[in-house]
Amino acid sequence: MRELRPIFIIVVLLVGITVFGPFLAPNDPTAIDIPNRLSAPSEVYPLGSDAMGRCILSRLLYGARWSLGLAFLVSTIGLIVGSLMGLLAAMGGRKIDWCIMRVTDIFLAFPDLVAAVVIVGVLGGGTNSLILALSVTSWTRYARVARGIGLGLSSRGYVIQARLVGLSAFSIARWHYMPTLTSSLVVVWTGMLARAILGISALGFLGFGVQPPTPEWGTMLLDARIHILSTPLQMIWPGMAVLLCVLTINITGDVLRDALAKKEIRP
Amino acid sequence: MKKLFEIFLRAAVVLAGTALVTFTLLWYAPGDPAATIAVARFDSTVSAEIVDKIRIEAGLDAGFWPAFRHWIGPILVGDLGNSSVSGTPIWPEMRTVIALTMPLAMLGMTIGLVISIPLAILAACNQGTWIDRGAIALASLGAAIPGFWLALLLILVFAVKLSWLPAMGTGTARHLILPGLTLGLGVAASLTRILRSALLEARNAPFLPAFIRRGVGVHERALAHITPHAAIPVLTVVGLELAFLLEGAVMVEVVFARPGIGNFLIQAIQARDFPKVQAVVLLTAVLFVVVNLLIDISYHLIDPRVGTQDA
Amino acid sequence: MLNVNNLTVQLGGREIISSISLSVAPGKTLAVLGESGAGKSTLVGAILGLLRASSGQISWAGKPIERGKAALVMQEPRSAFNPRLPLRRSVLEPLYAGKLPDDPARLERLCKGLEIDPNMLDRLPYQVSIGQAQRAGVLRALIASPPLILFDEPLSALDAVTQKHTAKLISTLQQEEGFAALIVTHDMGYAAAHADSIAVLRSGHIEEMATAENFFRSPQSQYGQDLLNAAVSLGAIERAVI
Repeated sequence: MRELRPIFIIVVLLVGITVFGPFLAPNDPTAIDIPNRLSAPSEVYPLGSDAMGRCILSRLLYGARWSLGLAFLVSTIGLIVGSLMGLLAAMGGRKIDWCIMRVTDIFLAFPDLVAAVVIVGVLGGGTNSLILALSVTSWTRYARVARGIGLGLSSRGYVIQARLVGLSAFSIARWHYMPTLTSSLVVVWTGMLARAILGISALGFLGFGVQPPTPEWGTMLLDARIHILSTPLQMIWPGMAVLLCVLTINITGDVLRDALAKKEIRP
Repeated sequence: MKKLFEIFLRAAVVLAGTALVTFTLLWYAPGDPAATIAVARFDSTVSAEIVDKIRIEAGLDAGFWPAFRHWIGPILVGDLGNSSVSGTPIWPEMRTVIALTMPLAMLGMTIGLVISIPLAILAACNQGTWIDRGAIALASLGAAIPGFWLALLLILVFAVKLSWLPAMGTGTARHLILPGLTLGLGVAASLTRILRSALLEARNAPFLPAFIRRGVGVHERALAHITPHAAIPVLTVVGLELAFLLEGAVMVEVVFARPGIGNFLIQAIQARDFPKVQAVVLLTAVLFVVVNLLIDISYHLIDPRVGTQDA
Repeated sequence: MLNVNNLTVQLGGREIISSISLSVAPGKTLAVLGESGAGKSTLVGAILGLLRASSGQISWAGKPIERGKAALVMQEPRSAFNPRLPLRRSVLEPLYAGKLPDDPARLERLCKGLEIDPNMLDRLPYQVSIGQAQRAGVLRALIASPPLILFDEPLSALDAVTQKHTAKLISTLQQEEGFAALIVTHDMGYAAAHADSIAVLRSGHIEEMATAENFFRSPQSQYGQDLLNAAVSLGAIERAVI
């Protein structure tokens, strides 16, 4: 697990920024300072200020709580709902399996972003509809992975033995399915976390995300877009923040997957 | 035959499901749907009688299932209904914007394929070397960039700094380059990874060691034997990228201010023109199901054993 | 007493087992002989209730077999154990499932009978030999005292010496415990040494049913004769009798 150490540090850093970011911020992220609007990086505003004179660094640090925290919440909801559905499909017999798989097909037929935009647009802005919009399609990926692995397990000798002696379905899932599923689901979870970050920022950029003046990276990009000619730097920072987070999480997922694959090959 | 029937049955169930989901979402939208239509069509001072008239006219007075039947009936015979704002038929307008999005999507897919196929072959043939790692790194970077931010960066470089290409609007082929590139780079990022794994998997297929023993050259092997095995995943990938292209069209059309199906959807949502929103969402889902149906059928034709149990 | 009456099993539209009837009394052993593909594993699956019978009845003492009343010893010893759990956890699983009290004395007695070192049970499945794993498999089947135990090719994964020894241990335990045993095998020597009666299965139906004594003296069916001749030429019977 030595190769995981640098990744571990980065993850701690990301979580740290999400939790403690606001304490590191030099300024109030919503404090308006019109005389110093669109200013270049300075001692007061380390990354400059936006069109309303708000500190960009502070907004980035506060924004992490929305961009990362919300993504964390959404991908975890998907994980729980999806793996339960997948287990049910794998263990519940052919008919239940067929029905659950068709439900996932139905939800997969709507591209994530299109579904999210429509849900937020129709139900109205606000955190609840944002959470619903982002989790409504994501659970299907977990369900498919859990079901695929689960079906493979259903024909294993020890699962058959457990059924033969009349072990309850809950106990079989707990002892014989979950331990094998967990590692793969965690890898899917990292991928979905990255997608959720991208999704939240995309919604923010389209104006369907976290409502202003709450700082969020996508919304900051929407604000910065108009000033692309005068202060292009203003648009670089939030994009970099999204890029770095997504890249880190994806690499973590890859390393995790390789490490787990190695572990599985060993008897 | 039995499997082909199962494939069609599945597609039919999924289509019905998508229609139901689409309708349900807008049925449970906050507020009185009849009042929403009335306000959208006239203004906020409409009388209760007009709202009631609209309620009956749109079949909204008899509950969920009658309203659903009222909505889906005309759609089944190809009539997507009228805009609740302007009252004009939706389909002619949609056909126009789809025609505007098509060249963008096709250019994006082409750029994606042109970049990803050589890159994936190069990576797979040099597995584990710096070429491979470089390709993976590029693909990872591409997958992590928010599409709209990439679009802004391209505008910044090619339109603002270099003034080579127009930043916004439509009209000439030059207007298409930056949006197409934005989409294409995104497609390339995901395709490179998938193609590379597919090629590696095909290379490890059991028949290959025999060729190696017979001394067939590395490059002949790559071309003659790996390529057909990669056909099935490629087919699937085109289906997978479809969702990406549709999402990308929304982003790119907004950033580059291009009229098209993406902008059409966003404007319909902002105007709370629910029939339009329903039409776009349903059409997207139908397109997705139909493409996947075609993929399933081709899988079945390529190899009838590949089939219905696993999926 | 296990009674199988006119059992027919279809899988994917194909009839794998056609109208089979057989019975096994407590304390007795029935060996089901046949080539691979004859439907032996399907028969086992149906008796255990893992596969649905298209028609026919399966009963123990006149009642359908409940979960936990019939145990299975599998062909691949290690596959019967969750690779992530120590053997003890799996061996005692029938007790958790049947809500039976943990009975250390019984476990100890069975371990002794199967020549299992109790410390071995704290290891993971891949940390013990195949022979040890198979004895743990028998232990697992026996722990909750089921009246019926099915053995699906229980010895084929073991080497010759271990085979003979394990067969003997099972036989001795059967005399003590009195369970009915249905052994699916293509090992004539094993059947000759330990079975009370023989059923010859061929492409889904029973070709011949006889006491072990009669079968090995003079099989009535041509197919039974062929199986026996093939085994004799391999020297299996001699090995078993010596």
